[in-house]
Amino acid sequence: MEGIGFEILGALLTTILAFVVGMFFGGLNRKITARTQNRVGPPVYQNFIDLMKLQAKRTNIAHGFMGHVAPIWIIIAATTVLMFIPILHDGLWFRNLTFRGDLIFLLYMMVFGSLGMALGAGQSGNPNSAIGVSRGLSQMVGFEIPFVLALVSLMIQFQTTSIQDLMAYQHESGQWIIFANPFAFLAAILSYLGMFRYSPFDIVGAPAELASGPISEFGGKYLGTVMTGGSIFTFVKLVLMVDIFFGGAGNFGTGFWGVVAGLVELVVKTFIVYLIPVFIGLVSPRFRTEQAIRFFWKWPTVFGVIAVLWAVFL
Amino acid sequence: MNTLTIILLILTIGAAFTYFINAVNHKLTAISAFVTITIATGYFFGLAELGDQFKFALGDFSMQWGLNAFSYYFIYIVLGLSWLALLYSIAYMEGKARLGYYYGAFLLTIAGMFGVVISQDFISLFIFWEIMTWASFLLVIYNYYYNIKTEGMKYMIFSAIGAYAMLTAIVFIHHYYGTFLIGEALSKGAFSFNQHIFIPIFLLLGFGIKAAVMPFHVWAPGAYAKTPMSFTAVFSGALSKMGIFGIALVFSTYYITHNAGGFIASQILAWMGGITAVMGTIYALIQTDAKRLLAYSSVAQLGYIVVGLSTGTKLGIMAALYLAVLHAAFKGALFMVAGAVEKQAGTTDMTKISGLIKRMPWTFLVALISIITLAGVPPLGGFVGKWLIYEALITESNNYFLAIVIFFSSTAAFLYSYRFLFGLFLGQEEEDTKDVKEAPVTMLIPMLMLSFVSIITGVMPGLVFNPAAKAMNALGFADTNWDMTSLSNIWGNTTDLSLIGIFIIIVFILGFAVLTLKGRKKTKSVGTKDISSSGELWKEGENWTFQQDFFKPFQRAAAPLYKFDMDKIWSDMGNALEAFFGFFRKVYTGNGQTYAIYVIAFLAILLIFKDYIFN
Amino acid sequence: MVISPVHYIVAPLLAAFAIALLSKIYKNAARIVPGIVLFYNIVISLVLMPQVLEKGMISEVIAGWEAPWGINLVLTPFSGFLTTAVSVIGFAIWLYGYKFKVRLQGGEVKYYEILQMMMIAGSLGVIITGDLFNMFVFIEIVGITAYSLTAFYRHRDGAEASFKYLLIGSLASIFLLMGILIIYTQTGSLNMAQIAERMPMVPQTMKVTALIFFLIALGIEAEMFPMNGWAPDAYSQAPSPTSAVFAAVVSVAGVYALIRVTFTVFDVEGVHQYLIVMGFVTMLVAEISAVAQVNLKRMLAYSSLGQMGLVLIAFGIGSHLAVFGAIFLMLNHAVIKALLFMSGSYFIYNSDDKRLIGLNGIHKRLPFVSAIFSIAAFAIIGFPPFSGFWSKFYILIAAGDENMIFLIIGILMVTIIELVYYLRTVARIYFYKDEVEHTEHKPSINAIVAMSFLTLFIIVIGIYPNLITGYLHQAADSLLDKASYIQHILK
Repeated sequence: MEGIGFEILGALLTTILAFVVGMFFGGLNRKITARTQNRVGPPVYQNFIDLMKLQAKRTNIAHGFMGHVAPIWIIIAATTVLMFIPILHDGLWFRNLTFRGDLIFLLYMMVFGSLGMALGAGQSGNPNSAIGVSRGLSQMVGFEIPFVLALVSLMIQFQTTSIQDLMAYQHESGQWIIFANPFAFLAAILSYLGMFRYSPFDIVGAPAELASGPISEFGGKYLGTVMTGGSIFTFVKLVLMVDIFFGGAGNFGTGFWGVVAGLVELVVKTFIVYLIPVFIGLVSPRFRTEQAIRFFWKWPTVFGVIAVLWAVFL
Repeated sequence: MNTLTIILLILTIGAAFTYFINAVNHKLTAISAFVTITIATGYFFGLAELGDQFKFALGDFSMQWGLNAFSYYFIYIVLGLSWLALLYSIAYMEGKARLGYYYGAFLLTIAGMFGVVISQDFISLFIFWEIMTWASFLLVIYNYYYNIKTEGMKYMIFSAIGAYAMLTAIVFIHHYYGTFLIGEALSKGAFSFNQHIFIPIFLLLGFGIKAAVMPFHVWAPGAYAKTPMSFTAVFSGALSKMGIFGIALVFSTYYITHNAGGFIASQILAWMGGITAVMGTIYALIQTDAKRLLAYSSVAQLGYIVVGLSTGTKLGIMAALYLAVLHAAFKGALFMVAGAVEKQAGTTDMTKISGLIKRMPWTFLVALISIITLAGVPPLGGFVGKWLIYEALITESNNYFLAIVIFFSSTAAFLYSYRFLFGLFLGQEEEDTKDVKEAPVTMLIPMLMLSFVSIITGVMPGLVFNPAAKAMNALGFADTNWDMTSLSNIWGNTTDLSLIGIFIIIVFILGFAVLTLKGRKKTKSVGTKDISSSGELWKEGENWTFQQDFFKPFQRAAAPLYKFDMDKIWSDMGNALEAFFGFFRKVYTGNGQTYAIYVIAFLAILLIFKDYIFN
Repeated sequence: MVISPVHYIVAPLLAAFAIALLSKIYKNAARIVPGIVLFYNIVISLVLMPQVLEKGMISEVIAGWEAPWGINLVLTPFSGFLTTAVSVIGFAIWLYGYKFKVRLQGGEVKYYEILQMMMIAGSLGVIITGDLFNMFVFIEIVGITAYSLTAFYRHRDGAEASFKYLLIGSLASIFLLMGILIIYTQTGSLNMAQIAERMPMVPQTMKVTALIFFLIALGIEAEMFPMNGWAPDAYSQAPSPTSAVFAAVVSVAGVYALIRVTFTVFDVEGVHQYLIVMGFVTMLVAEISAVAQVNLKRMLAYSSLGQMGLVLIAFGIGSHLAVFGAIFLMLNHAVIKALLFMSGSYFIYNSDDKRLIGLNGIHKRLPFVSAIFSIAAFAIIGFPPFSGFWSKFYILIAAGDENMIFLIIGILMVTIIELVYYLRTVARIYFYKDEVEHTEHKPSINAIVAMSFLTLFIIVIGIYPNLITGYLHQAADSLLDKASYIQHILK
């Protein structure tokens, strides 16, 4: 019984951590963007304020059952994936369900949220949402290919589909996988650009053109939930990247301060990785959808293929 | 009398009886057909046992029918899906013409499939295969008027090519190995790809055409889309699996011995399966008719199954067998959904209808569950199938690039999955669909039961794994251990599905509660016409649902892939042949004198060359 | 009165004359008498066949002159089997045509029946005779009656068809006579058994030349390529029951004659290859031509040619199993083709447009006939569980045993062609909208009974071929056993 309680507590803490860090990262993104554009920009905790505003709205418009349920799907997707990614390398805290799922499961779970979002957007009846969904799904076919190539190359190289094992390898050998298979990293980070939907791949929710695409009919508490889910998901994706390529976090022992130190290390590493899509987004124009898809099928896929060949022959 | 024979008799006599009773009273026809299949199914699951055998002699040949675990597994699909489809048919086919013909042919097809699966000698296999083919042909042309280059003829010609290739192989198995029994031929190495390689290749051709493998898949989209939907559920769900049944049988030697000749064949077949999966998917996502979309999707899904079979590994075969059952469940349900929409709303053309979710909520639920299963998203059963395929390709058979190709196809499948749901059920409602009602109960029940299968296998795939493992035993694999609720691969990584399922349900309930209860009084439910339209006002009768060229960007991006049109190649070949025949026919000039000249000229030739000919 | 093989021929001949006389007294005699006679033929078969199967052969001499000086009639399991089949099918065709209103553009029923009887008598004669010249005589009888029947309707097309038939048929007679002449001069005998006995002593060139003449002449009768140009016209222009008789009886007789001559009388090498090659060419050209046809009866005629080609291939392969399959196919083809012509004629009768387009949607008006046509079509393509499947299957197995893979592939590819045009027709019958004017002619009860009987045969034999496989085996044995044929007759 105590074990279960422990686990649930750990899960809750993880979720809260993800939520907080994700929101802050969003705020940091807005701050950095503003500064680059020579503005002051909103404070870093702006996302929290936005969330409270959305929850406090006087009316919330619900577009049918799917529209009502869609934000929950995103939360489910984000939290489920969160549970299955190791937050810290060792230790009793934040262990969650890391031993119980592997990379293939994660690949598919990440899509679960988009699907829900798409369904909710579809029911709203706004053609802009539908167009946005169509673009989003098409783009997804684009960026998933190099991502899968990267992951497969790692699976081959280390003969495992579990993230735990990848982290263990990095921990034991002291070498980060980014150096063991750099092409995999290149393919993965390029596909991440698509996943984050910052420029140049933000045609999905292009605000001026599509009235924000899929989320155009979400408001009030629904939009708030979507935002929450999105933030958690951002954090999750970054942690995945860090765990796989940068050795994860939590290398400081299992005591309380060790855990805190591990978390700090995690936040720092994820922030550094986060800067990559942010900076690229700052300076890029927008690709059209087919350009985006073609882009992903060119160099990132080539890198992915090289990564696989690297894994097979080296 | 033997159980198996009795079941066949029930089905065939039932078919004849149903055909004739239609002349008496139209309403009785559907009931009679349903009762027949119920009796047959009940009889089977009640009385038939593993190891039942029936040997008899027919015209100089000894035939053998029997039930091993491998057959038993497929009978689940055949009888189970057929029973549900016939239940669905009662309401779906109501009021249509020629019901006796329809149900008679339906029951004959089921009899044929049943016979194929229980055959343990090649002659019976061929006989039932042919019966199954022509009975389903009769159903494919059921909806036809006017078009002479029909999908039916395409179907029949391709099936015939396959069946006759199979017959050639059977004749030569008898010649080289002296037996017609499948088991004996197997043990004598008839399928070994090492000698007389054309025998397994011809057999694969026969089975592969039925399983719609590239490049012989061209009959499938038209045939699946044009046949009445209640039959297509069985057509796509069960009949195509007969091809899978055969391919698994042919490859069984290779699975155990992993000989070199078989390896090349399995690689070729695997890539053909992979290409089928990709091409099927990308053609599916540009369709505007929901039925054709599902048809192309079936072709793609069968591609996955073929890939699984050809890897030859434990996980691969399990993936194929598991997907066979699951595909029958979710595709059957989807075709039933399409049929329900067609019956209630009049058409499945997505450019003409939309927004049916409010009117047909249960149908939508079935569609949603089946689509999630098709896409392979956890926590439903489709994910297990996908997981098995990827693990098989990556961990066991080192076929990495094929894994990527399959993944590409799987990702693109999300596109048409969404399209199906969106096109029919979401978006704004069409004016004409104001009076559409939910599908009748007898149609909903089979759909819901099939969805239930999809759900339960997501959490407890062991329910399917165990019979499938026994089937693999019968094929020659060693005993394997399968967990009820978790998946594991040879590298030791596991995925625990029950935990995933529980977790998702808990989060869903919590989230739903929070989202609904919080701010309940402030929530306002609006219709689909009440949207933020940036100043443009919606007028009466307009429908702003985005349906045309839904995936145009993808089409543009993948344009080179779309240039490859297999259908056109076959059509051109057919036309060329017809022209050739038209020319050839002119030998018979119709002129008496010409014929006389033929005779005399032939005489002269024979007399001149007689020493060479007759010696 | 002891029943003996000669009754086979005598009964129809007498009937022909009787019809001529009796119809002066009683108008319907012309319709009834053939039925009685054919039924009698069936009785003969039932009596004689058990004896044949037991003793191996019945040889009957005519007019007391012992063989080989006199003419003898030989009833082997093979010929006996064929005569039984011909009698039964002939009876069914008579029953079908009982109320047949010969479209009287100048013909009367009694002439029609007389000619039919003589044709059947002649064909039976060809099958059971043991003497070469006697065979020639009977072939001539068949020829003359066939020419007349083809032109029976006295319109332009019929006359043209009959003329072609006459032309080619005369060539056949000439070459047959020449062949017989050569044989007679070389062996000094006209009796088949004796010729077979003396054949080894004939010089090779003479033998082969004579054989070639026989092959050409009998090839014309057996509808082999390139001598079968007359057949499509004759089949399509003759009255319907006659077309059925052509397909079921006359072609059977023609093939029998060819096979008897090549297998029993001659002993030349290379005949088997010749039969296989020419048979395949016949089949290929015929089926290809059938696809392009727009007239139902012509299409069926070409299909007949194709099936005959397959029969010849099977005989050419020559092994026991192959000959078994060939005889089985002959039987099946006779039944199925007769059935197709019978049902097809009702289609044509019922629509004003004689082309295939007239068949559109006809099942609504003639459901029973459509079903029968479809079953027959399925059977001839070779779909299980109908009888046509077994015959094709046996032939393929025999070919497989001889390792003839290309032949097998060739036969199966031609089967696919067959499949295309038959299924196209079935689709037309059931699923096309009928747009053509039609006059209503429902089938009469006798036709229905006749057609049902034949259909039943197809289905029952299809499901349980053991009923006749025993007889077929004996028939095949007897054909291949030349020595006992000679010995039995010349004892």
